[in-house]
Amino acid sequence: MDYKYIEQLLERYWECQTTLEEEAILRTFFRQEDVPASLLPYRQLFLEEDEMAGEHLSKDFQDKMLRMVGEEPAVQVCKARRVTFMRRCRPFYRAAGLIAILLTIGNAAHQSFTDDGQQASDNGQPSLVNSQWSMVNDSIASRPEQQSAELKTLSIDTLDAFPR
Amino acid sequence: MENISFRTTVMPLSDKLFRLALRITMNRAEAEDVVQDTLLKVWEHRSEWEQIDNLEAFAIAICRNRALDIQKRAGRNTENLDEMAHFSSQTPHEQLVASEQISLVRRLMDALPEVQRTIMLLRDIEGKTYQEIAAMLGISETQVKVYLHRARTKIKDKLNNGL
Repeated sequence: MDYKYIEQLLERYWECQTTLEEEAILRTFFRQEDVPASLLPYRQLFLEEDEMAGEHLSKDFQDKMLRMVGEEPAVQVCKARRVTFMRRCRPFYRAAGLIAILLTIGNAAHQSFTDDGQQASDNGQPSLVNSQWSMVNDSIASRPEQQSAELKTLSIDTLDAFPR
Repeated sequence: MENISFRTTVMPLSDKLFRLALRITMNRAEAEDVVQDTLLKVWEHRSEWEQIDNLEAFAIAICRNRALDIQKRAGRNTENLDEMAHFSSQTPHEQLVASEQISLVRRLMDALPEVQRTIMLLRDIEGKTYQEIAAMLGISETQVKVYLHRARTKIKDKLNNGL
């Protein structure tokens, strides 16, 4: 790699002929690890200056100074957020929306279930509903005497309830 | 100048002032005291802030004078760079031990005469133009360049000779 440009910049740096921008280029160059041996002796100078630039006062010192001149130190400000009525009701909207979805799905499922039963009945296929009804009818048919006796009792009682 | 306030205009200068005071006094506690005195002095002049062209240059001049006063009062002189010659007489092991305690380059820079050290700080660390440095130190731009050239040449020679 050709370091001629850097070497020229460095020569001008020693002679105080570089601009601030050119000095920034040199600083950036010497921050990298891969510096040729011929330029290595100067690397520590730029790194040292970088480190010096990071020296600073503590936050406590700054707070103390502000108090000394009668200003309050900067505090962490938590900005209050304005919450609108619509925003506050958002959870309810969500709950209502969820319920509406569940009801729609339930209704659709029930509708589909009913239609399937009807369709099966129309096709002569025994469905769960039809089979239940047939079981009830069978139980009634298996007790004809009891049924007729109950009917007779009912008709007499009903007639007695009305004045002749 | 408009909207000058201690918090937004003067306080942001405190780290720069601290670095300058530290390079002169070489002592953190003393440098903090210098910055505190400087900031209070600037605060005392608050009625004149509108008339001061460059408040930063004003603060830096106060800071430097205060730091130099402390040095003078303590009877300390700036170390001469020639005294750094003893580094080259150290064995490699001794040099390694010394470098672990404090960088040799930093000691080299700290050993420069105060005005050269201050100008090098303002240019290389704070990124000031020659014109700004001249205004801060109350000297001409040509003088700034002469002092800076001397400082860089000394550093270069020492680095070339392996300290």
